[in-house]
Amino acid sequence: MMRPERNPAIVWRLEKKHYDEAWEAARNDEEDFDDKGVLTLMIKGGIHQLNLVGAEIWTRIDGTKDDAAIAAEMAELFGWEPGETVEAVRAFLEGIASRGWVTLS
Amino acid sequence: MTITHLASPVTVNWGITARCNFVCSHCFSRLDQAPELSSEDARRVVDILADHSVMFLNYGTGEPLLRKDLFELTAYATAKGLKVTMNSNGSLIDEAAADRIRDAGFHGVGISIDSADPATHDAFRRMPGSFDKAVRAARLLRERGVPLSISSVICKINHTGFPELVSLARSFGAHTIDLHNFKCSGMGGLNKDQLDLSPDEWKAFYESAVPMRESVTDIDIAFDDPILSLLGAEDKAALVSGSVCGKLSLYVKPDGEITPCGFIPITIGHILRDDFGTMWESSPVLDHLRHKSATGKCSGCSKFSACLGGCTARALAVYGSLEAPDPHCWAEEAEK
Repeated sequence: MMRPERNPAIVWRLEKKHYDEAWEAARNDEEDFDDKGVLTLMIKGGIHQLNLVGAEIWTRIDGTKDDAAIAAEMAELFGWEPGETVEAVRAFLEGIASRGWVTLS
Repeated sequence: MTITHLASPVTVNWGITARCNFVCSHCFSRLDQAPELSSEDARRVVDILADHSVMFLNYGTGEPLLRKDLFELTAYATAKGLKVTMNSNGSLIDEAAADRIRDAGFHGVGISIDSADPATHDAFRRMPGSFDKAVRAARLLRERGVPLSISSVICKINHTGFPELVSLARSFGAHTIDLHNFKCSGMGGLNKDQLDLSPDEWKAFYESAVPMRESVTDIDIAFDDPILSLLGAEDKAALVSGSVCGKLSLYVKPDGEITPCGFIPITIGHILRDDFGTMWESSPVLDHLRHKSATGKCSGCSKFSACLGGCTARALAVYGSLEAPDPHCWAEEAEK
């Protein structure tokens, strides 16, 4: 069980147009729906983007939800199998924690 | 994977005033004394940028602290969610001003210091005592917890002395030192022969500075120059190829005219008279910058897809063409 908190030094925004386009592609079962960056993050002068799945996880990080709670919402959102979703969410959180984008407690 | 541009700029650099109490040797704006917007219109600018989800608003051009409504405008912008930063020569930052900067909610302040040697800095800024005032400003801001960066324009006076600048910035507690490459625009164009480096000197500078950037961990050494791709040192996380101007950032002049960057004097519209989103998406000038074609020695160069010909502002200033190769580029035909 891990509870992520965003690094407060990160400035970010959702790229609304690209986000809507990615969701449209996802609903149409287009395989490349998660190729596009839909959320932009700025940290220490560097600029990064998350795809749709990453953005949906990122926007759910509020300092109160743990990995299981986020995974449950993601599984429902994308219609994924809950057990696999937990593993995927944990891997994503550990990945961005290693970059200093979140802390895990 | 790179993209041509985002849905709106990440950063808007705003020449909030053209007035300045310095007459620096390299100033790009001294020769273009545009009138500034009223407080009411300035707030409209903030509204437009906030509506388009611009993340960072950076004041510059003249000396921002000469603008009387600076703190009120900054508080207004921060309340709208913008992260406001400012470049200042530091001369007007006393204890009271530093308090107001902190209280207005500035996301960060950059103080210009171009040499660790006071006399060299003062001569470059053409203002006796300016080094001491900049140092005082840096210390006052850090004492108040304002995130501080040091801005230095790399040119003839400091290209071999930048490690001392890094040490100086570190001593203030700055989180970043921005090593800006010299642009031959405005006064910089008039003083180009005295200040600009040769392509080989730029190469030598970056060959020293890039390893230092990689090895120093207690302060960020930042430089944004598309010709770094020649050293294989381009930002691995770069979203766009070449310069960020017109792709991730825009410049608003004191009178509200918009240009791709402060160093490219081509107006693409007016922030209060034209639709910002349409301008960003449909400007032929921005489209040109986002889809540059290789000309001259860039033709066939293996680095072109990464650098897109380098800095367009420098090419325009020296050769009068948006398409010309960057005059700082040291690549020869044999390096292709």
